Amino acid sequence: MSDTQAPGKHERSESAQLHRELEVVWRNPRGWRALTVVNHSTLGLRFMATGLAFFLIGGVLAMLIRAQLALPSQAFMTPDIYHQITTMHGTVMMFLFAIPVLEGLAIYLIPKMLGTRDLLCPRLTAFGYWCYLFGGIILLSSMALEMAPDSGWFMYTPLSSGEYSPGKGSDFWLLGITFVEISALSAGVELTVSILRTRADGMALHRMPLFAWYILVMALMIVVGFPPLIFGSVLLELERAAGMPFFIVEQGGDPILWQHLFWLFGHPEVYIIFLPAAGIVSTLLPVFARRPIVGYGWAVAAVIITGFISFGLWVHHMFTVGIPHLAQAFFSAASMLVAVPTAIQVFVWLATLWLGRPRMSLPMLWILGFLVIFVCGGLTGVMLALVPFDWQVHDTHFVVAHMHYVLVGGMFFPLMAGFVYWLPLVSGRMPSERLGRLGFWLTFLGFNLTFLIMHWTGLLGMPRRVYTYDSAMGWDIYNLISSVGGFMLSAGIAMVLLDLALHWRFGRPAPPNPWGADTLEWGLSMPPAPYNFASLPTIKSRHPLWDNPALGDEMARGEHALADASHGRREILGGEVLTGRVRERIHIPSNSWWPLFAALVLAVVCISLLVRLYPLALGAFLVAVAMLLRWAWENGGHPIAAPLGDDEPTSPPLHSRTRGGPARFTMGVSLIADGAFFHSLLFGWFYLWSVSPQWQLPEQSPLDPMLLIGAGIAFALGMLWLERRLRRLYAGDETRLALAFYLIAALGGLHVLLLVALLWQADLAPTDNAHDAVLVVSLAYLLVHGLLATLLMALQGRRAALGYVGVRLPMEPGVVALFWRYQLGIYAILAVSLGVLPRVIGGGA
Amino acid sequence: MMRRVLWLETEHPMQLVLGLTIWSLWFVTAYGGLSVVCALAPPAPEQGALTGINLVLGGLTLVTLGFLAWMTQRCMAAARRKRGRLRYMSALAGGLYLFSTVSVAFVGLPLLMLPPCL
Repeated sequence: MSDTQAPGKHERSESAQLHRELEVVWRNPRGWRALTVVNHSTLGLRFMATGLAFFLIGGVLAMLIRAQLALPSQAFMTPDIYHQITTMHGTVMMFLFAIPVLEGLAIYLIPKMLGTRDLLCPRLTAFGYWCYLFGGIILLSSMALEMAPDSGWFMYTPLSSGEYSPGKGSDFWLLGITFVEISALSAGVELTVSILRTRADGMALHRMPLFAWYILVMALMIVVGFPPLIFGSVLLELERAAGMPFFIVEQGGDPILWQHLFWLFGHPEVYIIFLPAAGIVSTLLPVFARRPIVGYGWAVAAVIITGFISFGLWVHHMFTVGIPHLAQAFFSAASMLVAVPTAIQVFVWLATLWLGRPRMSLPMLWILGFLVIFVCGGLTGVMLALVPFDWQVHDTHFVVAHMHYVLVGGMFFPLMAGFVYWLPLVSGRMPSERLGRLGFWLTFLGFNLTFLIMHWTGLLGMPRRVYTYDSAMGWDIYNLISSVGGFMLSAGIAMVLLDLALHWRFGRPAPPNPWGADTLEWGLSMPPAPYNFASLPTIKSRHPLWDNPALGDEMARGEHALADASHGRREILGGEVLTGRVRERIHIPSNSWWPLFAALVLAVVCISLLVRLYPLALGAFLVAVAMLLRWAWENGGHPIAAPLGDDEPTSPPLHSRTRGGPARFTMGVSLIADGAFFHSLLFGWFYLWSVSPQWQLPEQSPLDPMLLIGAGIAFALGMLWLERRLRRLYAGDETRLALAFYLIAALGGLHVLLLVALLWQADLAPTDNAHDAVLVVSLAYLLVHGLLATLLMALQGRRAALGYVGVRLPMEPGVVALFWRYQLGIYAILAVSLGVLPRVIGGGA
Repeated sequence: MMRRVLWLETEHPMQLVLGLTIWSLWFVTAYGGLSVVCALAPPAPEQGALTGINLVLGGLTLVTLGFLAWMTQRCMAAARRKRGRLRYMSALAGGLYLFSTVSVAFVGLPLLMLPPCL
């Protein structure tokens, strides 16, 4: 007996030692230093807690709206206040609650589901959180100052332009939302790269949890879908602050351009919100049906299709602006098509329930609520995709009801299901069935009472965003019922909050894997340690915990990969995209002040722009750039990161010692986002050129062709040289590497100087006409990228001189080269679009 | 011997996005081309659907349909031949190409019936 116990004791001691080592490397500091935390679990929870706070504020605004509309001819609110409140309700719910809370859930769960210890760019997670928090506070402060935006949550021009909204409201919206969107983009980039490159060994794409597929597509949609709105916001703020007339018809602009840019973002956003929620459903249903999901491949195909088709629907929000019937038919057909992948998912869920042995636990109740409400919302969506019907109910409460059926049904109900389901993982306690069921039924009934009735109100012709109505219209009873339902819905949510408040003290302790789930997060301790897994598993199927229920204990005992932290680095495994086979050990950064400081300085930029203190804004912006570059400096072979040593791991090697580390993916995905911004810019140029009635091309292009060509040649020479030096570096030659990088940077500097000269000699009048305004924005875009490319290259030179880049550390120049290729590409496209095409086609076109 | 193009292999991850990317490009070209023609040189409404822009976009639609249908067939055939991960990737790609093909046909159908700029 003692013979068999002795090794057990020894193993336990080794396991305890491993956990101690990991704790030292991964622990979260306390006190003030808690602000430096970059751990994904902590930040995911912070995202969700902040999102909950914003949700409660948005909910109070909704109740104010329902109180105002409960009876006809009410004077509870003035029209001004009512418009501010409706605008802020939509804005808060869409931008400060729905997207961030789902991002927070993904940030918290994805590494745990993929069998790794953290996301790939932990400082980016922290930076995203701080941008979200500060952007949200700036936006909400407008209400306290009684200058909240009041042009509706989609901020249509010209209502939101300087002429009709001269106050600060629109500026708060444009700057605050852009700030918050930095957060969304950060999460989009790092979730994409983390899912593609940091899955557990053997977790090939076809073995990946469905939730990760949904988040992957959502993250890519954020990367592509958010930049058009950021671009539109930049244009509108430039118009309001500097008088550049992008949306003013008399000066060659067009207000419809805003609608295109907004809905290019806005419609995909509906699916950005829906997909993670559907991912929750696809994760929970098999657990409670006690069988694998039926049609895994169908679900994956449906998610990918949704990701694409949802970008082809944006004009269906604009059917009444005067678009040709044929174009309307394109978008009408695409709007009907998007119902197909959604229907595939619904049938996958129904088939799983049909063939399984469903248990009616609390999370399932929320899922059934979702199925009922979302299917109804989807059906009214198909009705609205039909152009003649859309014309009838456009801008009525029917559309408001449809939107809430889709968004609350499609996002809030699954979110609640996921919240109840994963709560034991966070707290180690089980949710209360009794309070939870009461909360569900009040919410479900209250929701339907509010919004089912609202369809009728809309069909009877009640327009949206009117602050009151006359009793003679016949809408009284419907509005009263909706208001009563709204307060019932609030009572349901209050019940859920009460459950949450009592949970931490009175909740029953949760047993291991309390729901009998198959995914890796349930193999962790509850709550999980900051490093998640003491050792990282090898995956052989889609259901690791169903195949091996003891896997959690094995990982905790350190019986799998990377069971060592004595080196003091935070390490995770990097794998191949397709097969998940291990390629490298990725060392990720530890806690840092830089994310908080950089976000704080960006908040100063935002506030300075609001109060129009432009020198301060410029100064703060430069400080923020310096901070971000300093943050990037502490990477690779830097002493704070992973300095070169004699006994480095080789199988697999550290990622900074390879050529194709995940940093290339991160840069690549970031450039996709940048490319979406660039395409929005191109779209704006060609749109105004072909559509705006007062657009005037000058007889001769103001851009000097010699300077245009010279700037291009300087940069292309630098690019060619960089490629050549990269090949030599990879071949093992690092002679005079630093000097070469400095000289390449000098060519980048020449490119920038020639661009400045081009802008100077063009003598543009950006406040007089939209043509010159677009030229200025385009050249500024090239200048910023040229400057950044030059700066990054010069820093590479310095790093090569210090020994942070070289034959043993070859990763970084390849990453910078991607950025140089991008700059060369966009330069060529813009040179043709702005400089060559107008010469070929001629002025006055 | 002709060099094989890696990303045209049916199990390459690129196949998961290529079909729908082609659909997106076709969609943007159709809408953008139509908008530019209607803004600069709209044909007379009396011509109905028999206009140059309908014909050009219709031709583009047929070419796109042909390529997508061919890729659908290739991926489906590969899925029948292969096993495991390769079969999964080919079948998934085949399904996505099939959907892209149907989408081009469905969205392009109004080109046969509607005048472009009315």
